Parts: sequence; C-alpha cells; structure tokens
Amino acid sequence: MTHVNSSQPAMQNQRRSPLYRRHTELKAEFESLGDASLVSRYGELAAEIESAAQLGLADLSALPRIGFKGAGAPQWAISQGIKLPESPNHSVVQDDGALVGKLSHQELLILSDLAGSSALVNSLEPVQIESLKQSEPAAQTYHLPRAHSHSCLAVTGTAAAEMFSKVCGVDLRSHKFAQGQIAQTSLAKINAVIVRHDLAETPCFYVLSDISTVEFLWDCLLDAMQEYAGVPVGVAALRSLAARG
Amino acid sequence: MPFGLLKYGLSRDYPAKHHFTPATELKKHYDVVIIGAGGHGTAIAYNLAKYHGITNVAVLEKSYLGGGNTARNTAVIRSNYLTEEGVEFYRESVKLYNNLSNEFNYNVMMENRGQLTLAHSDAAIRSFRWRAEVNQHMGVRSELVDRQTIAELVPNLNMSEDSRFPIMAGLWHADGATARHDAVAWGYAKGACERGVELHQLTEVEDIEVTQGRVTAVKTNRGRVECAAVVQAVAGASSVVAKKAGIRLPIHCYPLQAMVTQPYKPILTPHVSSPHVHVYVHQTSRGEFVIGGGSDPYPLYHTRATLDQRESLSAAALELFPFLSQARMLRQWAGTTDMTPDYSPIMGLSPVENYYLDAGWGTWGFKATPICGVTMAELVATKKVPDIIKPFELERFYNYEQINEAGATAASH
Amino acid sequence: MKLLTCPLNGPRNISEFTYGGEYHPMPDPNKTDPRQWAEHVFFHDNEAGIVTEWWCHSASSFWFLAERNTITDQVIRTFEASELFNQRVDFAAESGDNS
Repeated sequence: MTHVNSSQPAMQNQRRSPLYRRHTELKAEFESLGDASLVSRYGELAAEIESAAQLGLADLSALPRIGFKGAGAPQWAISQGIKLPESPNHSVVQDDGALVGKLSHQELLILSDLAGSSALVNSLEPVQIESLKQSEPAAQTYHLPRAHSHSCLAVTGTAAAEMFSKVCGVDLRSHKFAQGQIAQTSLAKINAVIVRHDLAETPCFYVLSDISTVEFLWDCLLDAMQEYAGVPVGVAALRSLAARG
Repeated sequence: MPFGLLKYGLSRDYPAKHHFTPATELKKHYDVVIIGAGGHGTAIAYNLAKYHGITNVAVLEKSYLGGGNTARNTAVIRSNYLTEEGVEFYRESVKLYNNLSNEFNYNVMMENRGQLTLAHSDAAIRSFRWRAEVNQHMGVRSELVDRQTIAELVPNLNMSEDSRFPIMAGLWHADGATARHDAVAWGYAKGACERGVELHQLTEVEDIEVTQGRVTAVKTNRGRVECAAVVQAVAGASSVVAKKAGIRLPIHCYPLQAMVTQPYKPILTPHVSSPHVHVYVHQTSRGEFVIGGGSDPYPLYHTRATLDQRESLSAAALELFPFLSQARMLRQWAGTTDMTPDYSPIMGLSPVENYYLDAGWGTWGFKATPICGVTMAELVATKKVPDIIKPFELERFYNYEQINEAGATAASH
Repeated sequence: MKLLTCPLNGPRNISEFTYGGEYHPMPDPNKTDPRQWAEHVFFHDNEAGIVTEWWCHSASSFWFLAERNTITDQVIRTFEASELFNQRVDFAAESGDNS
C-alpha cells in the first residue's frame, strides 16, 4: 500500500469518516489509504508528536478492520493461521502487525496496523468471506463488517488513562489495564470497545463505537481532554511514536 | 382573624370529625370485599354505597388509607391519549374530576392548568398531529401548537435552537389538570364510610378462597371473611394478590421515581412534558417543582430512590428549564407501577367468578380514579361489564386485541 | 451506583446492562395454540422474590442469566446462557398453510 500525501481537501470519490467536516475545519492534511482518506496531520508534525505523547485524539476510522462471530469462529481463525489470545477481552499482535482481539469466546475483532497494510485484514476481506457463506452450518462462522458498523478512534499519551476516568467507569491506568487488554464498556454513555495497544512507550487506546455516534463521542472526548491540553492528532504522529521503540 | 380562629376553636365543629370510621372488628361476611384502600378502592366503595345502595362493603388495606401509589404519583390528570378507547375512558374521568369537589363537598384542589407535551423531532410532530385529530374527534381539547405559541404558554421554557434537542412543536391539552392526590382518596373514603362502608387499615389479605371457580372468602391477618364478591385494587402488588386467587397477569412491576424542589414563587402554570428527553415538570400550588420521568430500567418491588435517576431527571429538567439549576431538591421517592404490554389498564372480569380486576395501572392510575370508581362499581352491582371498560378486559391479551397507548404514555403521565 | 457482574466482562455499573425479561423455556411455536402463545409472550410471573431473568451487557451484546431478588434488588448470581443452552436453537417454521 502506498501513501499519497496530498493537501486538503481529501481525494475525490473516497470514503470519508463521519468526522470529515470537523477535520477540514481544523485544516487537516489527508492521505489516501485504499479507497478511504485518513488525517495525516493537522499542523506541524514535531509539535503534534509531542501532543500525542501527552494527550492526543486520532480518527482512525479509515483503517481496515473486520470481525468474525459464531461457535466455529475460533477454530476457523486458527485454520487461517491467526494467533488467538487465550481468554476473552484480550488481544495479541500478529506477525503482520494486525491486532486480533477476542470479544467473547466466540467473537473476534481484527484491526489493521497504522499503515493499513496488514495482509491479514486485507486478504481476509473478499475471499474468505465468500467461502464462509458456503461452509457447513456446523462451522458457524459469521462475518461482521466492522469497518462499516464501527468507527475507530485512538486516544494516546501519558494523560489518557486519567482523562478516561472522567467519562468511563473502567480503570484504564497502566497497572490495572495491561497492554493488549480489552474493555467493552460505556464511554461518555456510548457503548464502546476499548483496546490498549501502546505505541512503543506511549500509552494508546483504540476506541471502537457505533459509527453513528462518533461525532458525539469525538466532541465529548475533546471536551474531557481540554484540561490536559489534549488535541486532535493525525496518524503521522502516531506512526512516529510507534517507531520510537 | 384571631377571633375567627377562637370562634372556630370553641364551636361544635372543632375538633373536626374523622374522615372515616375508626377500626372495628371484622364482620363474618360482607357482600363486597375491596382489597386496597387507595384512590381506586375507595372510589369503588363510594360508588357502590352512594349509587347502588350496596353498603355491606369492607375495604381492606394492608397499610393505611391512600398510603400506597395514591400517595406516590405526581397527580397529573389528562385525557389526550391516542386510541379511541383510551381517549373516551380518560375523557370521562377528567369530566368527573372537574366536579369531584362538589360531589364530595370536600376540596380536592383541582387545578385546570393545561398540559403541554413537547416534540423534538418530525416523527413526534406526526404522532402529535395524529393524537390531536383523534382527541378533537372525541371531544377532547387537544391541538398541535408552534414554537411561538409554546413560548407564550411557557415563557421560561428553553426555546434555544442550539440545544441538543431543540423544541420543534407541542401538543397543547387545555383539559390537562392536577389535583391533591391524598384528598381524592380521603374524599372517597369519607363519603363511603358515611354511608356504611367499613375501612379496615392494617388488614392484609393473606389468601383468597376459591371454590368451584368462584371466590368465597378472603383470609386476612385479622381473620377470615366470607364475601360474595372481591375487587382487587392494589396497584403495585396486582400480580402478587391475583396469584392468591390463582390468576396470572400480563404485568411487570417497575419502580417509577420522581422528585420535588423547595417551594418557589409561582412562575410555571401548565404541566410540561417531554417524552424525548424523558422528563416532565410542573409547579404545585405550594410552589414546588415536581420532576418526573420514565420508569426504572428493570422490574423491582422496592421504592428506593437512585442516584442514577436523580442525575438523568436533573439533566433532562435543566435542558427544558435552565433556571432550575439554582433549585434545591427537597426529596426524591418512588412508586411501584404495574406495567402492561400495551400501556393500558386491565379492568373487569377475571377467570374467577365474582372476582374483579382493577389492575395494570402503570403510570396512568391516578387520572383514571373517578371513572374507575363509577365503572367498577357498576360492574360489581350489575355483573355487566360497562361498555366503556369492555376494551380493557384481561381477555384482550389472549385475543391479540391490545389497546396500544405506549406512545401517548411514555414519560408523559 | 449498583453493580452487576457480567460473566464475560466482570462487575459493571448496572446502567451498562439491559433487562431482558423473565427466563421461561419457549414452547414449540408449531405445537402451541394462540392462547398458549399469548400466555408465553404477554403474561409474566412477576414474582416478588428470587427470579431467574435475562440480561444483556449492552457494550458487548452479551446475553446471560441472573438470579435476583426482586424485593431487595440483591443479585444472587449471574451465569452464562451456555449453562442452560448447549446446542443451537433453530426457529424453522413447519411448512404448511401460509395464509
């Protein structure tokens, strides 16, 4: 996958996040990723990296993701060479950078890496899903189109856990909520899946919620972040932090 | 003034007479036993005694007169429902309410303040238009009103277009009213007891005897009482009492919470309700703001108040009336509501002969008190179901003929 | 704040959950007359005491069962539906008159 940096507005005929208007108001610079456009940065990159290390909010809705559910889903995933976490509400990083989380004994969530290049997510998309439809009812694996149903935000930085305590009942501090752990809970009264997936040394939480609620959630989180000087950040800053390790 | 008080103190009218007969022994037999001395139970007894000449009646109450959900509701009276059956029924009730103080020669503090229901969406406007048409057709004053009219009716309502759910239109119900809920039960009990009905407080029905499909007696904590007929009017305990007679009901009991502020000078005349933000507010004649909303999220036979509900009621009330941010909360309480699948009551015959149901009163029981007294008394006296309550029979659930009032009820009260 | 323990997600504020009704085994729709079906769909035990009921953890759409005292609001235990359901339930309608 190649990254074509372009100045705003986003490329024509590309999938946009529901937050697109908010991004353009903030003078975001977009990059093209497959059929979608993603915010690369809002301002000067070096400052944005520092912001993200302190407290940042990124819209990663354009990154690929996929889900599977059903009694046969774990077996099927293993047959595809996917490494599964041992218990629900945990996730493991795959060889290609994808993150596979177990939301229950029978439900999987697969997130792409920050480059959107995880072969797992991309190759699973068209081919395997077709084959699932033909499989025996006993296999019981159903495809969940997570890219369409859910938005994906990332909250980054050392102040993230403390900020979350204002809008979320689950304790997300590092010593309570380990790397790879998942919390399915209420965030600012919105149902959300929170996955801790640090960017090297920088704490990072992916937040997946119903895509129709993301504008409300974005505004709520920015409001809660204000007292910690938290700001929107682009994916470029996140990639830089991830590469610091 | 002091002389007037002194004169009253020395007159024969002082001290005032008790509203009802003092406790006596239970008799061996009554023609009619009414379980529950709330508004409904006493209204049925009153109508039996006054209009049907049936006075060998005992009203059995496990606690005290009007101490259950009669004391816990928020005293809203209205008839702007959606179905023809519902509108006709509540319309008659509002008519009876308007004359109730005269009927009793006792002040129930009826106040015709009007009720305004708010629409925050196109869908709500469509349903309000529907309700207004049905209401007007049935002779109920109900009309769709625009923002300007709303601002005139309730000048201190938040009409901002920048709020999360801006107000788009309203359903104005000029017949909407409020009354003193305790006084309604007291008035009925007083009138019933004056005519020979016995009120037995602290008398709990522990079992109901049914012989060959017919009710014959009730067992209480104070002994067994034979009876020719039984009416159960026990909102919040309907399933529990009916079970003693072997009857299963389509009811789930949910707590319904409300709260009230300190008294303030009168600034809000109508009752204002928003089904969308789940809140309703009115100011009592004493000046307190009564704030209520939707039922609790799951069934419970407990009348505790929760912080969750206080938070959501406060948030919603402030959305409509930002000036309430300065108000101090005086108390918060809950009642138990018998919720039916179609948000309509269950009245009339039961599978047990001579056992009559007055149940399923959800959040709409207080406003139906007078019509309920009239129709249930007629049923008990004549054994014929009055036409106006025929649609609310228990049998409708087996016949798949529900009276859907969910849209006209939720958080409107 | 009242806590409910989700068998999958652990103890959470009860506001994260949705009540799903009393637990009753469903009668076979093909062998049930309309009266019995109405009884199953609309009527409830509405017991004042300990009941078994369905709950759903909204954020994970996870359905489970709880034993709860409806007088004291005390939750006795929560458990996975798999304790009672260990095979797939199909809702296939019997072929026949569709009128």
